[in-house]
Amino acid sequence: MVEKVKTFEDVCCPFCGTLCDDLEIDVDLKTDQVVEVRNGCQIGTKKYFSSNPSDHRFTKPLIRKNGEHVEVSWDEAIDKAADILVKAQRPLLYGFSSTECDAQSRGVELAEILNAILDNTASVCHGPSLLAIQDVGASLATLGEIKNRADTIIFWGSNPVHAHPRHLSRYSDFIRGYFRTDGRNDRYIVVVDPRNTHTAQIADKYIRINPSEDYELIQAIRAVLRGADLDVKEVSGVSIEDIKELVEILKSSNFGVVFFGMGLTQSLAHHRNVDTAIRLVAELNDYTKFLLIPMRGHYNVAGANQVFTWNTGYAYSIDFSRGYPRYNPGEFSSVDLLMRDEVDAALIVASDPGSNFPAASVKNLFKHPLIAIEPHKTPTSAFADVVLPAAIAGIECEGTAYRMDKVPLRLRKVKEPPGETLSDKEILERLIEKVKEKLGE
Amino acid sequence: MSLNNLILLTGRTISQGVALEGGKASRENVRAAGICTFDTDDFKKLDCIVGTPVKVITDYGEVLVYSTITEEGPHPGIIFIPMGPWANQLVNPSSQGCGTPTYKGIKAKVEVVKNGKVLGAIELIGKLKEA
Amino acid sequence: MDEIKLKIKKKLEFPLEADSITPDNFAGKTVAEIKKLPLYYATKKVTLGNFFDVSGKSIEVANTKIIIEGDLSNVKRIGEKMTGGEIEINSAVGMHIGNNMSGGKIVVNGNADDWAGAMLQGGELEINGDAGHYVGSAYRGYWQGMKNGIIKVKGKVGVESMLWAKSSKPANKWPTLYCGSADSFLGIHNHGGTIVVEGNVDRCAGADQAWGNIVIKGKVSRLLPSYKKVGEVKEVQLPNGEVIKGKFIEYSGDHTIKKETNGRLYIAA
Repeated sequence: MVEKVKTFEDVCCPFCGTLCDDLEIDVDLKTDQVVEVRNGCQIGTKKYFSSNPSDHRFTKPLIRKNGEHVEVSWDEAIDKAADILVKAQRPLLYGFSSTECDAQSRGVELAEILNAILDNTASVCHGPSLLAIQDVGASLATLGEIKNRADTIIFWGSNPVHAHPRHLSRYSDFIRGYFRTDGRNDRYIVVVDPRNTHTAQIADKYIRINPSEDYELIQAIRAVLRGADLDVKEVSGVSIEDIKELVEILKSSNFGVVFFGMGLTQSLAHHRNVDTAIRLVAELNDYTKFLLIPMRGHYNVAGANQVFTWNTGYAYSIDFSRGYPRYNPGEFSSVDLLMRDEVDAALIVASDPGSNFPAASVKNLFKHPLIAIEPHKTPTSAFADVVLPAAIAGIECEGTAYRMDKVPLRLRKVKEPPGETLSDKEILERLIEKVKEKLGE
Repeated sequence: MSLNNLILLTGRTISQGVALEGGKASRENVRAAGICTFDTDDFKKLDCIVGTPVKVITDYGEVLVYSTITEEGPHPGIIFIPMGPWANQLVNPSSQGCGTPTYKGIKAKVEVVKNGKVLGAIELIGKLKEA
Repeated sequence: MDEIKLKIKKKLEFPLEADSITPDNFAGKTVAEIKKLPLYYATKKVTLGNFFDVSGKSIEVANTKIIIEGDLSNVKRIGEKMTGGEIEINSAVGMHIGNNMSGGKIVVNGNADDWAGAMLQGGELEINGDAGHYVGSAYRGYWQGMKNGIIKVKGKVGVESMLWAKSSKPANKWPTLYCGSADSFLGIHNHGGTIVVEGNVDRCAGADQAWGNIVIKGKVSRLLPSYKKVGEVKEVQLPNGEVIKGKFIEYSGDHTIKKETNGRLYIAA
C-alpha cells in the first residue's frame, strides 16, 4: 500500500504557553498540506490547518504602492525595509513571541545595530509578572512537578478552559500524577475571578472577587496568615469568614500552586497584584510547600524573555539608543512609546499589535513606516508598508521554544514553507546584512 | 435601551482563539471577538434579542458589537468582550508607568442601536490608518 | 549664586537626555566648554550647544545656579547625580528630574514627568505643579530607593511614590515627601520613609510598609484591610523632628509584613 500521508509524532504545538508536546500531525505527501491533527486543542489544531494555502496566507513579499499591496522580489522588499529602519531616528522592533529562539536572537542583533527599542509581547501581557519577580523573587516549579505533586491548585485571574485548553488535562486538574494517583479526585481546585468562568464551574471552590480589587484581597489573606485580627468584615466582595476558611485550606494542603494570568497583570495595580501574590506563596512556605507559575499566553514569549535576557541582561522593553541596553517599562515599553508618539518606524515580528494594542497606540503606529514579518493577513500586516512573508515556526521550520515553566522544547518541522516564504530567522538575517551594508555606506 | 455603571472585562475565549488562527479578516472572527457578553439579568434590561448590535462606550472610545448572553455568569454589572480589535477601541491605554495597558476593569455603558454595522477587523482597524 | 542661563532653542520630536546638565558639570567651565557637553537625542549623541543657548559662568559647585528657559517637557535626566548648587526650571520637565542627587536644590515651576527624584540620596526637589509616577522611588531592580533628602510636590504625585524608601536612624537620614495629593500605592514597600499629604490619597497607601510614617490630611479612597486602628491622636511626631498638629486616626500596618509593627498611617479624623 502506497503511503499517502506522513505522520509526525510528539510534535510541540505552537500556540499557547502550555506548549503541549504530544501532538500528532498527518501531512499529505502529494500536496504537502496538513490533513489531520490529533491530540491538539481546537486552537492548536486550527493553527496547523491555517498553514495550508488560503487567501489570508502571504507567500510573496509585498510593498505598499499607491495604497495597494504589490508583489515584489525579496531583494526589493528587504532593501526597502532596511532603508526604512536605517533612516528612522527611533525605530521599534516588537513582537517575537510567536517564533523560535534563533529568530529572537537575530532580533536582538538587529536592534543593537540600529540602536533601536527592542520589545516583546510580555510588554502587554506578563511584563508585570517579570517586574514583580525582579522586586520580590518567585518560588517557581516545572509543570511536571505540579502534575505529580500538587493537591491544591488555585487559578487566580486565569481561565485555562478558554486560554490554555489542555492545561487542566495535562498538568493541573484531571491527569493522574505520581502522588496524585486518583487524578481529579486527588486535587482541590480553587478559582478566584470576577466571573463564574468555565474554569470556575469545574472547580471545587469559586471565590467571586470584585474587579480590580485583587491586591486588597491578597493583603487580607496574608495578614490573616500572619495571625493578625482584621478590623474589616469583608474585602473585595469576599467575607472575612471565607477568607479565613481559604487560609485554612491553603495551610493544610500538601503541595499547593497558584496559576495566575491577566486578571492580575492587566487590571489596575498590575505588577503589584503579582508582587503580593508571590509574597503570599512565599509566606505559605512557613506552613507547607507552595509555588506559583505564570500562565504565559504565547507559546514562546518565555523564550523571547530568555533570549533577550541572556543577550542584554533584560527581558523586554529594552532601549539601545545610547549604545548599550537599558530597561524601564513605562518609559521604553511599546504602548507607552506609541502613546507619546515617540517611535518613527516599526518592525513587527511574529505578533499582531494592530489587533492587540489599544486603538490610540495603533493610530500612532500607523502614522509611520511599518514593516511586518508575518505569515498571515492581520490588522497589522494589512496596513504594513512592507510585508515579509514568514514560514510558521513549529510547522514549517524547527527551533526551540520555552514553555510557561521555562522548560525548553524543540519545535518540529512537518511541512515545507510554502511559496516564497522564508523562516523568521532567515528574514532577520537578510535584514541585518542589508542594514549593515547601508550603515557602512 | 441602555445600561450604565458597567465594568468592562476583556480576555481570551476558545472561539476567539480558533477564529484568530483561522483568519483575522474572517466573518468567524467578528462572530467570535466582535461581541459583548452580558449577565442574563442585565441583558433582560436591554430589552432586545440576542445578536442585536449594541454600542459600548468608555472614556477611551466606543464600538459596535453583537450582544450575547454569558455562559460564565452570573456577573451582574460586568460585561465581557473577548480580546482583539473591538475590545481595544474601549480599553485604557495607560499603564500607570508600568508598561502594560489596563485592559480590564474599565467603566462602561451600553446602548442598543437601531441601525449600525458591526465592522470586520480589518475595516475597523483600517479606520485608525485613515484618521 | 553665580548664574548660568540656558535656553532651549529647538523643538523636540524625541526625548532629549540631558544628564550632563548639573552644577557639578558646569562649575569652573567656560561657555564654550559647557556647549561641548554631551546630550543624547533619539539615537544620536549631540552637544549641549546644539540644543541650548548658554551664558554665564560659575566657579564653585555650591555657588552654581542653572536657570533653564523654554519648554523642557521632553528633556529627561536634568540634575542627575548632582551634589550641590541649584537648578531652576520654568516649564514642565521630562522624566528622571534630579534622580540620584545627593545635594543641592532643584525647583520646577511646572509639572514633572515620571521618576522625579528617583533614588534621591539628599538635597531638595521642589515641584510647583503635579508630578508623574514613581516620585522619589527606587529604580527597577533596586530594593532600596530614596535614602535621604526632601521632595515637595505642590500638586498630585502619581502611583508608587516613595517605593522602597529607606531611612537610617543612626545616620539621621529621613527621606521625606510632602505632596498635595497622591495616586495609588503611596509609600509601597516603605522602610522608614516619611510622607505628608495635604489632601486625598487613592487606594493601597502604605502597601507592604515594613515601618515608616504616612500622614494623610485628606481622605483615602480605600484603606488596606491589613491596617488596624490603634487609636486617635492630637498630633503626629515625625522621626525627623517635625510635629504635625491636628486630630488623626492612627493605624498600624502593614500587617502582611509583621503581626506587630511600628509602621504607621495617620488619616485625618
